[in-house]
Amino acid sequence: MKSAVKKFKGLSDKAIAWIFITPTLILLLAINIYPLVYAIRMSFTNFYANKIGREPKFVGLKNYKKILGKEEIWEKMQITAHFVCWTLVLQALIGLGLALLLNKKFKGNELLTTLIVLPMMLSPAVVGVFWTYLYNPQVGLFNYVVNFFYDFGVFDMLGSSTLAPWSIVIVDTWMWTPFTMLICLAGLRSIPNYMYEAAEVDRASKWQQFIHITLPSVLPFLLLALLFRGIENFKMFDLVVELTSGGPGSATELASINLKREAFEKWKTGYSSAFAVILFVTIFGFGNVYVKVMNKIKDR
Amino acid sequence: MDTSRSPLEPSSFSRKLAATIIIVYMVVTLIPISWIVATSFKSVDSAISYPPEVFFEPSLEGYVNLFTNRSRQPQEYLDSLPPPENWYQELVRSREMVITGPSKFVGRYSNSLIIGFGATFLSVFLGALAAYAFSRFKVPLKDDLMFFILSTRMFPPIAVAVPIFIMYRKLGLGDTHLGMIILYTVVNLSLAVWLLKGFMDEIPKEYEEAAMIDGYSRLQAFFKVVLPQAMTGIAATAIFCMIFSWNEYAFAVLLTQFNAQTAPPFIPTIIGEGGLDWPAIGAGTTLFLIPVMIFTVVLRKHLLRGITFGAVRK
Repeated sequence: MKSAVKKFKGLSDKAIAWIFITPTLILLLAINIYPLVYAIRMSFTNFYANKIGREPKFVGLKNYKKILGKEEIWEKMQITAHFVCWTLVLQALIGLGLALLLNKKFKGNELLTTLIVLPMMLSPAVVGVFWTYLYNPQVGLFNYVVNFFYDFGVFDMLGSSTLAPWSIVIVDTWMWTPFTMLICLAGLRSIPNYMYEAAEVDRASKWQQFIHITLPSVLPFLLLALLFRGIENFKMFDLVVELTSGGPGSATELASINLKREAFEKWKTGYSSAFAVILFVTIFGFGNVYVKVMNKIKDR
Repeated sequence: MDTSRSPLEPSSFSRKLAATIIIVYMVVTLIPISWIVATSFKSVDSAISYPPEVFFEPSLEGYVNLFTNRSRQPQEYLDSLPPPENWYQELVRSREMVITGPSKFVGRYSNSLIIGFGATFLSVFLGALAAYAFSRFKVPLKDDLMFFILSTRMFPPIAVAVPIFIMYRKLGLGDTHLGMIILYTVVNLSLAVWLLKGFMDEIPKEYEEAAMIDGYSRLQAFFKVVLPQAMTGIAATAIFCMIFSWNEYAFAVLLTQFNAQTAPPFIPTIIGEGGLDWPAIGAGTTLFLIPVMIFTVVLRKHLLRGITFGAVRK
């Protein structure tokens, strides 16, 4: 073993491995893990980040009890769940549909794919602000187009507490459906042709081929896309904050937006850290269960 | 009619139908983007007219408003001024205003460039080193470390923003370019390591072994043989890191204010008289989108791998 290393000049492989990995690990520990540990520690105190002189006091599980017992927090969770569920359902259906169509390999396919993908490359905050313009009840294009097809009169997508939760679903779906589409497309392209040839020999109908070949093959890819989108949307902040900033009232105040209010407007660092930990554990828990289910489906 | 097609090929009718639906979707989905670009070329009045104007007289008012600060002046004062020196002064003058100075946009945009390129360079460089080590050497707990690197993307940015805010304040990194470069580098590192490891796994080990037999050290082989071979992967990774740092908002809005603020928190705050100045916001958005659009076109072959952390390959 030793002679194999010595054969070449310069540093040993082991030294190089550690020199190469250490900067990355140090940075991750300093900027990612340290803040996380810090947040977990603060979640057991009554710390206020804007009161510098005051020593934080250890309060045990008080913050957690307060959060879990608060009706308001469950409302935020419901709003988040509404947002996550509907965006996932819509993006799964439209994304898969588009992928199936694009898989027909017509001319100009690649160009169209590139153009369709554009919305998801934009800055969510900038997207948020320009959709407030499109949604404007007086001069917005969205309202004009809707009224063109059916005359609803003046309606305010962002100002009404029944419509606002849907307005954020629409924008997120517009922006991120291409993501599901791309991944489904990769799944479809990975299906070997001989499977369809065999089905054709067995005289399976197109519908049977779709149910027994296409769908099972593309499902793991679709589930992967939904996992990524689910995690992202659970912690959604930038798009919605610019679009509605949680309003009207608190109709679209997602968990992350509430967290920002508690942490950076009320400066309740201890309390908001506890909320952050709860969110993190929720994402992690859901994510783990989901991955287990996903692997089971894949193995089948 | 082509009668020799295999039963697997979609019929020409279904193909045409698919193409039609896709084109309709493409047009609908691009309307919001085209609308904002069109708005950037409208005058303030035309941007808030109803019904929305599809055909309008183009104006550069949005771009002028984006780059300048202006103040409204009484007609007598305007009459007493010397005639406008150039077209944009004239345009502002015709709105009964005078230019009082440049706006912050150029500063914000160049912050975006500095922080974007700085963070991209650092994360690709450090990511390439780590990826090479994970790809070629026996590292203890390799899978755990790789998963740890990925999981750092799972917690909400707001959750770590408070501790980072406090830490940066102590270290003097708050609202500085360096602080933001380090922060974005770290957020990007997970993606960079995962992607680059995938690309490096595909480079045959024999290449660098041959170089080492020829007398290169391991380090020389890495820089002179492996890195050039991984160039496509490095370019793709760089563009993804750039897109993230370019578009990032949550950290920028919470941790920067005057000195190091990037364009995304700035653009939504461009205010004209009586509310948001839509042509100027449109202009800012358009200028901000151009690099990303170019990236998307350059990137299209690597898109999938990048957005899924290398999980899906084409």
